[in-house]
Amino acid sequence: MIIEVKKLKKTYEGKVPTYALKDVSFGVKKGEFVALMGRSGSGKSTLLHQLGLLDAPSSGEIIIDGTNVVNFTKKQKTEFRLKKLGYVFQSYALLPELTALESVYLPLMLSGISKTEYIKKATKMLKKVGLGERINHLPKEMSGGEQQRVAIARALINDPAILFADEPTANLDTKSSETVLALFKSLNREIGQTIIMVTHEPDDKKHVDRVVWLKDGVIESEDAK
Amino acid sequence: MNIKASFFLARTTILRGNKGTLAMTILIMTLAYVNLIFISSIFGGIVEAINEQSINNLYGNIVITPASDEIYIKNRDAINSIDTIPGIVASSAHYLNNAVISYDENNDGRDIQRGKWLVKSVDVEDESRVTQISNSIIEGAYLDDSDRNNIVVGKEIAGGHGGELEHLSLGGVYVGDDIDVQFNNGTKRTYNIKGIFSTKNSQADQMAFITTKEMESVLRVHNLASEIIVKIDEKGQEEKYITQIRQSGLHDEDIKTWEDLTGFTSSASKSFTMISIILGVIGIIVAGITIFIIIFVSIVNKRKQIGILKAIGMKENTIILSFVMQAIFYAVIGIILGISIVLFIIRPFFINNPLDFPVGWVSLKITFNIIKISNISLIIAALIGGFIPAFRGTRESILDTIWG
Repeated sequence: MIIEVKKLKKTYEGKVPTYALKDVSFGVKKGEFVALMGRSGSGKSTLLHQLGLLDAPSSGEIIIDGTNVVNFTKKQKTEFRLKKLGYVFQSYALLPELTALESVYLPLMLSGISKTEYIKKATKMLKKVGLGERINHLPKEMSGGEQQRVAIARALINDPAILFADEPTANLDTKSSETVLALFKSLNREIGQTIIMVTHEPDDKKHVDRVVWLKDGVIESEDAK
Repeated sequence: MNIKASFFLARTTILRGNKGTLAMTILIMTLAYVNLIFISSIFGGIVEAINEQSINNLYGNIVITPASDEIYIKNRDAINSIDTIPGIVASSAHYLNNAVISYDENNDGRDIQRGKWLVKSVDVEDESRVTQISNSIIEGAYLDDSDRNNIVVGKEIAGGHGGELEHLSLGGVYVGDDIDVQFNNGTKRTYNIKGIFSTKNSQADQMAFITTKEMESVLRVHNLASEIIVKIDEKGQEEKYITQIRQSGLHDEDIKTWEDLTGFTSSASKSFTMISIILGVIGIIVAGITIFIIIFVSIVNKRKQIGILKAIGMKENTIILSFVMQAIFYAVIGIILGISIVLFIIRPFFINNPLDFPVGWVSLKITFNIIKISNISLIIAALIGGFIPAFRGTRESILDTIWG
């Protein structure tokens, strides 16, 4: 297992506490492509945020690659996110002033790699996602699908152990959505990339190995192919 | 912290961000800097004008008066050797006499205007090398060494020439009029007014001048002095020259700097210096708050991007540094443009068009110190103004910044 989740709880405190995750336990195998599905408010995005170290659970354990990451310090989490995890967000999440190439090599620059090497690697990665001709374009000069592929290239550039995708096709047209999902699938098949994706789209099920259904903060069921 | 990544982000934000915002930000920084320099320099100019008035019209740089138990400075050899000290431009010996000056306009013994003023004697050539009185004649001419029955009076004595103390003056005397002077030894003589002078120093304008030869005949003395004023070539080095003057033989005389003698003007210049400092500090705070607001707005607009950067593994310190670098860039460009405007536009303008203040002609006094302090202040303001909002912005949780 690359991810093991044990009795994970997340409660948002307030006058009326919101129990977003209630005692969730499940695992993800290395190289698996998993979809987290459920209605709005089911807890699927909250679960993804906990697994991706973007938020801290109220209790429980998250073991990634054999390490319990729940008690990591802020600095350890930042380092872990940079080196082990990749993210693709719903709204592309690109910096408007950076070209496709710069967006992709930024994580490599943070890792301290030489300029020649990070340009070479980022160019190769952009070619891999089909954007070899767009490397010097700014986000405003690209379509939504192209921007999302830049975000995927950025997420993959540090060879992450797990790729997290939070409704990556929600803002895309059908054709672009198909392109992005096909890219995920090929990455999963060709290089064995572990992917955990939150989605609303029933059609996306056909691309993944397993669907984890959430309802009211608990895992309701799991569908494996 | 990854300095290279911070610099990369700061550079791309500046180069590829909104050009209008960048231009506006730099304009604000430039004006904040010009404001800092201008306020300090104009007050520096006022203080300088006050001081120059005292030096040029009253005291020179150094004033030598007799030992406490003496009326005159008697060591003539020492007096003569003052001018040979390297760095001393000139010295001028005076006899001083508090005399009653009166003017009988109709020569009928009625309605005589009189008052008590300081009459000084001068060696014309020496005096013109130390003070500017001879260049301040507004009517008639200055004295010649051969003059015996001529007198030059300040406008506050003459009256009728726009003085501030008109009610205490002779009520309006002009070149060619005769006035009577009764010296404090009882001698009374009549002098013809040869010239009337006006400086921007009312204390100087309350003095009258006759030649040394004439005063020596009145006082029946020879080759003495009541005071010697000394001009040096480098203001601020007075103490060094006082030591040398003492070494030349004037051991017991009272020797003071012009600063020691400027009572009212000294407190006025201190007040202007204080106002300058207060306005300078306010200017720095305003500049700091301006940078703070600029960076704060930038961070509010980039809130989501900060979340993304944190999510992909960029350390908070690296993000903060990139914003601080932007703030410093705005400050440095503001300083470069500001200093260019000050040195190449404002300064030449004020040199050609000095302001007519009651204390004198005021221009900007831009010193290396003012520039240094303004530069350091603006950079520190940029550091703080950039750091605080960036620090606060990066402390928010990733989820709050990305999904708000």
